[in-house]
Amino acid sequence: MTDTAISATTLTAQQYREARARRAKRAGLLKHVFLIATSLIMIYPLIWMISASFKPDNQIFGSLSLWPQTFDWDNYGQGWNALSVSFTRFFLNSTFVTVLSVIGNVISCSFAAYAFARLEFTGKNMWFALMMMTLMVPYHVVLIPQYLLFLNLGWVNTYLPLIVPKFLAGEAFFIFLMIQFFRQLPRELDEAAMIDGCSPFKIYWAIIMPLSLPAMATAAIFSFIWTWEDFLGPLVYLNKVEDYTVPLALRMFLSQDGASQYGPMFAMSILSILPIFLFFIIFQRLIIRGIAMSGLK
Amino acid sequence: MEKFFRRNFAGYAFLAPWLIGFFLLAIGPILASLYLSFTKYNIVRPPQWIGLDNYFYMFQFDDRFKKALQVTFSFVVISVPAKLIFALGVAMALDKGIRAIGWYRALFYLPSILGGSIAVAILWRQLFNYDGVVNSALRLVGLDGPYWLADPKYSLWTLIVLAVWQFGSPMLIFLAGLRAIPQELYEAAEIDAAGPLRKFFAITVPLLAPVIFFNLVLQMIEAFKSFSGAFIISGGSGAPLDSLLFFTVYLYDEAFSYLRMGYASALAWVLLLIIAAFTAIAFWTSKYWVHYENERG
Amino acid sequence: MASVTLSEVRKAYSGFEVIHGIDLDVHSGEFLVLVGPSGCGKSTLLRMIAGLEEITDGTIAIGDRIVNDLPASQRNLSMVFQSYALYPHMSVRKNLAFGLGNLRMPKPEIARRVADAARILQIEELLERKPRQLSGGQKQRVAIGRAIVREPQLFLFDEPLSNLDAELRVQMRVELAGLYQRLGTTMIYVTHDQIEAMTMATRIVVLNKGNVEQVGTPYELYNFPRNLFVASFIGSPKMNLLAATIADGKADIPGLGTIALPPGIAAAGPITIGLRPEQLTIDASGPLTLSGTITLVEYLGSEVFIYLRLQTGQTLLVKAPGKSSHHNGEKLTISLHPDDAHYFDAKGNRLARAGE
Repeated sequence: MTDTAISATTLTAQQYREARARRAKRAGLLKHVFLIATSLIMIYPLIWMISASFKPDNQIFGSLSLWPQTFDWDNYGQGWNALSVSFTRFFLNSTFVTVLSVIGNVISCSFAAYAFARLEFTGKNMWFALMMMTLMVPYHVVLIPQYLLFLNLGWVNTYLPLIVPKFLAGEAFFIFLMIQFFRQLPRELDEAAMIDGCSPFKIYWAIIMPLSLPAMATAAIFSFIWTWEDFLGPLVYLNKVEDYTVPLALRMFLSQDGASQYGPMFAMSILSILPIFLFFIIFQRLIIRGIAMSGLK
Repeated sequence: MEKFFRRNFAGYAFLAPWLIGFFLLAIGPILASLYLSFTKYNIVRPPQWIGLDNYFYMFQFDDRFKKALQVTFSFVVISVPAKLIFALGVAMALDKGIRAIGWYRALFYLPSILGGSIAVAILWRQLFNYDGVVNSALRLVGLDGPYWLADPKYSLWTLIVLAVWQFGSPMLIFLAGLRAIPQELYEAAEIDAAGPLRKFFAITVPLLAPVIFFNLVLQMIEAFKSFSGAFIISGGSGAPLDSLLFFTVYLYDEAFSYLRMGYASALAWVLLLIIAAFTAIAFWTSKYWVHYENERG
Repeated sequence: MASVTLSEVRKAYSGFEVIHGIDLDVHSGEFLVLVGPSGCGKSTLLRMIAGLEEITDGTIAIGDRIVNDLPASQRNLSMVFQSYALYPHMSVRKNLAFGLGNLRMPKPEIARRVADAARILQIEELLERKPRQLSGGQKQRVAIGRAIVREPQLFLFDEPLSNLDAELRVQMRVELAGLYQRLGTTMIYVTHDQIEAMTMATRIVVLNKGNVEQVGTPYELYNFPRNLFVASFIGSPKMNLLAATIADGKADIPGLGTIALPPGIAAAGPITIGLRPEQLTIDASGPLTLSGTITLVEYLGSEVFIYLRLQTGQTLLVKAPGKSSHHNGEKLTISLHPDDAHYFDAKGNRLARAGE
């Protein structure tokens, strides 16, 4: 009597398990269909742009096709020299601004983050609150007075307005990201180092920084991407074509008359995002972890 | 006194770059723009105090200002929820150890990395051309797409789609939030015979509320700040018929096309106050729907 | 080697005082253990001596020098942390040499000291490893090594053994005691484990709620606890406490009987009588016998702990030799010897007998 009761329940439990597994499999399949479809739509425009960069102008529009009938590398050669100044110059300009900005951001933001995360000083909480509030302030609000300031300093039409602020820890996002990381490091390390005769600077340099390379790399990568893509800053401060960064140069394609340069324009667009794309491929894990950790941008 | 100095020296030394930046490039400019907003100023002649005239003019006579507000609000109100819902949906599909999650994650995040670039803005312009890719796709299903970029009725949608396309970062943050929900809760709910919908509303949403709130505030601020997409797609002017006149675009236009620095400063302050108000409202309402786990009753 | 002198040392966090004016003399070359329940302020006190926490009031002197305003690095001391705090990105060798490098010591001297410390602690073959490749016990040795290479005048230990498992803890306890004998340097050691305190210390400081309850050798603390707190904190298992009243030179324990007080104890009114488990004997030889029922027997091999419930409802803990056999529910009669007992007045302070 008891035996049959037990086998009956085990049977139903097994059936239940099987039904559940079937359901889960079906749901998993549906999920993959949804995800694959979504990612195809997501990625389609980018692939289309790559293919368009190889097409002659007359094949670009009116077609969904991702495969050019003929591969036309000419667009790249033409695009590189399509403007009054060669793209060699634009890329060099962008590289110059970006490299210095990355260095400035990493140094100055890690300084501020170290002070907030590790040092005690009067008014710390107030400064921290103010720092977090600057996250909210749109660049447009400070743009005009900053422009007037740099105009008076004679810095307009130089790269200084684009670079100097990066050395003044203007990017609260990076400070926040680094603070989060520093706080995970045990405080006893600092204390051991203090007893070992380290000054605050030595603790920063010999203990905190070597242990925070992932955070520094994340900040450097984001700094690189944002500076490379920055449009408004160069738009306001750079007026001479030979000083232009790549995004400003790209825009010149749009303002040119006779708009028959779609192929070259796409070719240069592809080249302009290529560094970012490569960075993304290489540092994907750091970037994704950085976002999940800081919960920002 | 000497002790006070010694205790604070290191902290302020490390904070120095940020402090200089804060005063010179953040709080200084914010206050300066408040002052300028009460003046008439075209850079050539010194600022001339006109009291609240800029604000009176703005709210009483400036139709472009009203148009800019309307465009910006429409953009924020549609694009932010759409982006968040999409991000949450994809994050939920990706949660629970799906195969190839790394690939999906990277693919979905890629647009967020590239989305701010001029290259993508240029691409968008071409996608939504009358004979561009979007209309070609619609034609496949027998629909005749409109003139997306030329028709003020449709132009804003191109930017909304562009914003939603960049759903990657809120998605990553949601994903991290979903991972933090203990699996036992779902199992307990299952034993309590809760269906998928009930599980979503009774467990996922309440436990994810802090993350949803965080993403909401952040994306809202981002949406108010967004500039380069609208600037490029509208050709720098908000065209067609000011239907893409984002607040930031209008501000830039007033400041740097017409050199109305005083008026543009007033616009900047209005933008700052709008963002502050929206953030404050979000925080104020959050206590009714966001509950933090470590909160004491 | 140095002495340490604390006078009227106070610590407050934003107005809330956690250390209430402590006076303490640490003799040169002694192994002083600070012990007390969690939150008693023992770690704070140690960190103030180290220079990791500021002193709100009072003075701390190491040797003849007042060090209140001296940064940690200039106090010529070293410290072993609970979490070891080894620098994760440096090899063991670098960890040991790091502090010496900061002192701008010549390279050969650094190498000599690192080699010496490695030999003493038997970590020579670990020198090139990173901390994450070490076991808990090995990390502990490296942390101690990092402290001894400095050849400081004072060692500080902040619960250094609490992250180790029981077996290793006993082993490291022996090694630390050996190290102390070898170096003879002043050591201040914080722990919440009274067995560690009893076994290693030359003197123990019992702290409670930011005050010193008693300072003394392990023998003094065990045999002459100055108050009820020390009496019940030191000794495991705990001392039995019985409430009593003194009248006419006799103590009346309600429901259990009356005992004559040892000479010298003069008090009136309510008192507490303290009896360590080994001071109750299973026989009827004493002037006062108590009987009850056994509710629990804990067999530890070398000894047995018997929980005995008296008619009054109180439970006494009795320690008996391991060979004795008892079982639950058994009726048992024990003797109380008034001369062995400790007596505390209504405020919990020890009532000294003649000759103490």
